[in-house]
Amino acid sequence: MSDTKKVMTIEEKLDLTKFTSDHNYAHITIDPAICKAKCTTHDCVYCCPTDCYKFIEGEDAEGPVSYDYIACLECGVCRIVCPHGSVDWNNPKGGFGVEFKQS
Amino acid sequence: MSEEYDFEAIIVGAGPAGCAAALVLARAGVEVAVLERGQYPGAKNVSGAAIYGPVLHNLVPNYWEDKESFERHLTTKKITMMSEARTMTIDIDLRDFNQTPYNGITVLRPKFDRWLSEKAEEAGAMILPDTMVEDFVWKDKQIVGIKSGEEELRAKLVIIAEGANRILTEKAKLAKHPHAHHYAVAMKETYELPKKQIEERFHITGTEGIGNEILGHSRGVPGGGFFYTNENTLSFGLILNAKSLADKKLKATDVLEDFKNHSYIRKLLKDAKMIEYSAHMIPEGGFKNLSKLYGNGVIVVGDAAGMALNAGLYIEGINFALESGRVAGEAAKKILESNNYTKKSTKIYKNELKKSFAYQDLKTFKRAAKFLENERIFAHYPELINGLFYRLLKNDGKPREKITRAAIKHILSRAKLLGAIKDVIGGLNSL
Repeated sequence: MSDTKKVMTIEEKLDLTKFTSDHNYAHITIDPAICKAKCTTHDCVYCCPTDCYKFIEGEDAEGPVSYDYIACLECGVCRIVCPHGSVDWNNPKGGFGVEFKQS
Repeated sequence: MSEEYDFEAIIVGAGPAGCAAALVLARAGVEVAVLERGQYPGAKNVSGAAIYGPVLHNLVPNYWEDKESFERHLTTKKITMMSEARTMTIDIDLRDFNQTPYNGITVLRPKFDRWLSEKAEEAGAMILPDTMVEDFVWKDKQIVGIKSGEEELRAKLVIIAEGANRILTEKAKLAKHPHAHHYAVAMKETYELPKKQIEERFHITGTEGIGNEILGHSRGVPGGGFFYTNENTLSFGLILNAKSLADKKLKATDVLEDFKNHSYIRKLLKDAKMIEYSAHMIPEGGFKNLSKLYGNGVIVVGDAAGMALNAGLYIEGINFALESGRVAGEAAKKILESNNYTKKSTKIYKNELKKSFAYQDLKTFKRAAKFLENERIFAHYPELINGLFYRLLKNDGKPREKITRAAIKHILSRAKLLGAIKDVIGGLNSL
């Protein structure tokens, strides 16, 4: 066995997963004002299994984190870990979102 | 109820709990619809996944005659303690589990859930995929139907089987917003490997299969890895407590990559090609995280109710889902017969569920959730036990110590004694 450590990026991994993306409806929205005013721990960034939540650099940013609902595997953990109620999480519309085949 | 209705019972979610309830009701001739938000049953679902054969046999007699129902039956269980450069594995080979109805079977959820939904459909249930239930229709503090987009569907009884992310259960006022320490995030990777290679690598033939739980090397986050063989794929994943990840400021995806790069895992997955990445949330709060199980016009089953358990050796999700769904189906028949849908009547479900193994196990292991939140078990003890064997087996040209003496010295030098005693007592009490 080769000793070279090969790490697949999350983007490469997500290419294997099928999505029917809904570009007209975001099933997750966050309130950057709440994040900016209250959040010091950014739990969403650590718990998301697809790194949908990312820190935004710069003082002028609307909030401390950005998010991407398109690459969401719909686990819902961000809804539960956010202690400030900033994450408004609803299921995608019927037939949209992730479509697992071999999970 | 004199009002008009579209179905006698509406079930929200076509996972194992929802389908089990639908199957029981349809067999009794009840008009039942199962509304599933996914493209098909199982499209949103992820599991390790092992199911108890007897539980499934109870629901679908002789299920194994249908080749579509499972991947492999489990004959080998391995439990691995993993630390940086060391592993210790307990390998339990039980070929007596070769007898049907099989002690355990492995499944892939998009296939299994669809298969089970087809059984319910054959019995007369209506399965409606692509259908997202957003809210309920209420009348005088009683749920009398559901809302999906512009549409309303009325039912005498609604069964919530929405899964771990219990948004509707909260809307039905049967659960509060949950605590993060009661939930884990599970990441799973499915790998393709030819059947022949799987059988050679794991010393199995026919539909025999192995399951491997892996403790440690998760950077101190309570949780663990899982590994199962399927017909021509491998299921591998890591379960991590959500609150602990956030507290330690560790990214779930980083912990997974680190875990996967351990030589033990790389050997398991050698030459296999990843074909899918998936993730799900697991309720692991046990008995304390149970929702209210019934309300006016409504009952709750499976993960939505918190019917899941992590008690170390026993990790339960689908089995409890199948069982609570089956019990809910039986109870719903009685509720429909009584023609009374108030809490007084829907309480039948809770009374029946209390007699089931699922509820009894949750009670037996009610202290396990708290015990297993303890980080020493995941960070410290795999390291400790592997270190002990290193000390016992290392050849350094010096005279050997007595084994018991070496063990005591090793444990005293590494473990905080009071903590260790507390953990032993805690373990004995809760597991």
